[in-house]
Amino acid sequence: MPTLLEIRGLSAGLRGRRSVTQVVSEVDLDVEAGEILGVVGESGCGKSTLATAIMRLLVPPQVLQSGAITLWLKDGVGHDLLQLSDSELRQLRWRHLSYIPQGSMNSLNPVLRVEQQMTDTLIQHGLSIAEARSRAAAALELVNLEAKILNSYPHELSGGMRQRVIIAAAVSMHPALIVADELTTALDVVTQRQILQELAGIRDELGATIILITHDMGVVAQIADRVAVMYAGKIAELGSVNDIFETPLHPYSQGLIGSIPRESGGRIEGLPGEAPSPWNYPTGCRFHPRCPNIFDPCRERIPALQTQDSARWAACHLYDAEVAADA
Amino acid sequence: MTANSDTRAGEAAAERQDAGRREVLRYALRRFGVYLFTLWAAITVAFFIFRLVPGDPMNILLGNLTRAEGRQRDAAAEEAIIARYRHIFGMDEPLPLQYVNYLRKAVLGGLDLGPSFVEYPAQTKDLVFRRMPWTLGIFTTSVLLAWIVGTGLGALIGWLQRSRLSQIAVVISTLLQITPVYLVALGLIIYVGYTWRILPAGGPYARHLQPEWSWEFISSLLTHAILPMLSNMIVIGAGFTLGMRALMISVLGEDYLTFARAKGLSPFTVLKDYAFRNALIPQVTALAIIVGATLNGTFIIEVLFQLPGLGTLFVQAMGLRDFNTMQAVVLFSIFAVLTLTLIVDLALPLLDPRVRRTA
Repeated sequence: MPTLLEIRGLSAGLRGRRSVTQVVSEVDLDVEAGEILGVVGESGCGKSTLATAIMRLLVPPQVLQSGAITLWLKDGVGHDLLQLSDSELRQLRWRHLSYIPQGSMNSLNPVLRVEQQMTDTLIQHGLSIAEARSRAAAALELVNLEAKILNSYPHELSGGMRQRVIIAAAVSMHPALIVADELTTALDVVTQRQILQELAGIRDELGATIILITHDMGVVAQIADRVAVMYAGKIAELGSVNDIFETPLHPYSQGLIGSIPRESGGRIEGLPGEAPSPWNYPTGCRFHPRCPNIFDPCRERIPALQTQDSARWAACHLYDAEVAADA
Repeated sequence: MTANSDTRAGEAAAERQDAGRREVLRYALRRFGVYLFTLWAAITVAFFIFRLVPGDPMNILLGNLTRAEGRQRDAAAEEAIIARYRHIFGMDEPLPLQYVNYLRKAVLGGLDLGPSFVEYPAQTKDLVFRRMPWTLGIFTTSVLLAWIVGTGLGALIGWLQRSRLSQIAVVISTLLQITPVYLVALGLIIYVGYTWRILPAGGPYARHLQPEWSWEFISSLLTHAILPMLSNMIVIGAGFTLGMRALMISVLGEDYLTFARAKGLSPFTVLKDYAFRNALIPQVTALAIIVGATLNGTFIIEVLFQLPGLGTLFVQAMGLRDFNTMQAVVLFSIFAVLTLTLIVDLALPLLDPRVRRTA
């Protein structure tokens, strides 16, 4: 499948008084057109920073340090999102690139009716008022909401409805790429499941590509095609859902999968220790203090994200023949 | 959807509307009750507090009379005059009875607040009505202008929070906000009024003019009003600027602002519909609060600029221990402040749909 989004060497951090603390380090990632890519990791591993960096929504003290993010449009033209001017980026937003933010509950403006919030963008992108209105109504239908919701204020809607309105707004211009950050975190399990199904339906119907940021392995298992496991600001492993759940390569992924309760029962293996914060990432492999398979190079050398076979990548010295040979 | 469920939904909506209306009525009644209670409490406190101030108004009045006539009376005549005055002003009775009489006349006698000592035999009520337009004119105009300017400026420096210019604006506003209003007024009088002689700094209008509907009089009135209003505006406006800036900054951190930016809206739309609209709601409430807190500043300004408003009247009345006039000034000031606050309160639902439902 063709690549839709190409992330190269992306680093972002938090600007402090004296220095910048790196939160996301040298991330390389290709997102294929039409897939749902789940990005999983513990709190503070940099997944939300990655999402906001892709959307170029970092606000101080968050800063972008380096990297390139190329969005390949259908006509074969690539745009480096990080190099575009603000107005060029505004043109691209919503039409090609949309965002479902973390904390969707509070992402609607409390003083405007849903209609205005859904259509103001469409109108600024050149649609007539009538077109914008019918687009908004059609988008609401995709998430099983009635068009009369348009006349409501956000406080008149339930949490699940608000979440759906956000999704509808995000897909109203049929964007190529949707970045969804912790889409279902605040919702009950039933609503969560419905919304995930709706999202999968939208992908099938509109052919959109979705990057789903979440800490919930269950959500990933339900809906994602591929999974990127993040740890301490770097991608530890990337592969298809089946591969990662069945035969995880990276010791961190193994630990993560091992900590999911299984139907078959059996003891849940937790990961010892806790994830490091960006202020004290360990040298070498950032996972080495917690790693059960540690050997010497792990303490000094940062493992690169390497292809294991055509569809899997892992950043671990265990799978690096050269390093293994040196040791 | 079937017709049946449609009508049921309609009934439910009508019921909700009815309940909403009852709710509004109850709210209005409660507001009005608080309104009356506040007026009563203010006048009661004023009645007793002013009588605690040392100095017998009758002696002061007699002293003035003696000085004006330039001759001494014998003690018996003085006693007679004082007794006569006491009777006129209703002060020959015990205090509780005076209070009851005062309330009775005020409520049942069509706002009969008694005669004033300052301009005897003029009625206090007429005196206050004559002075009130000056105070209300200066006060409401300057507070409203300060609010409009401060809100706009605060929104702007909140929006540009990290620029050098807005940081400088914050320092200047903070300095102005903590400056007492009389210092600002004195500064303006000294520099603008006397040193540079740009604008008149005393009196309501030029001395040789009479009130009339002529351009000359009106322009004189307006130029004389600039400095008093400016003193009020600078201090209050700086406060509004800082308040609005803080509100903008907190709104800028809201999730719906990030979402608005992600939607690719123009910065102007984000500022206008998303940031400003939301920051405006508490700012309107702030206006209601400030209205009550800044009237006394206007009184001081009137005295400094020699304007014939309620403030100067109050100072004159204080000198004579003219209880009736002082009470009337308090009563009407509270009345004005409460009314302005009520107007602001009723305007809130227009801005905030969440209040509209529950009010």
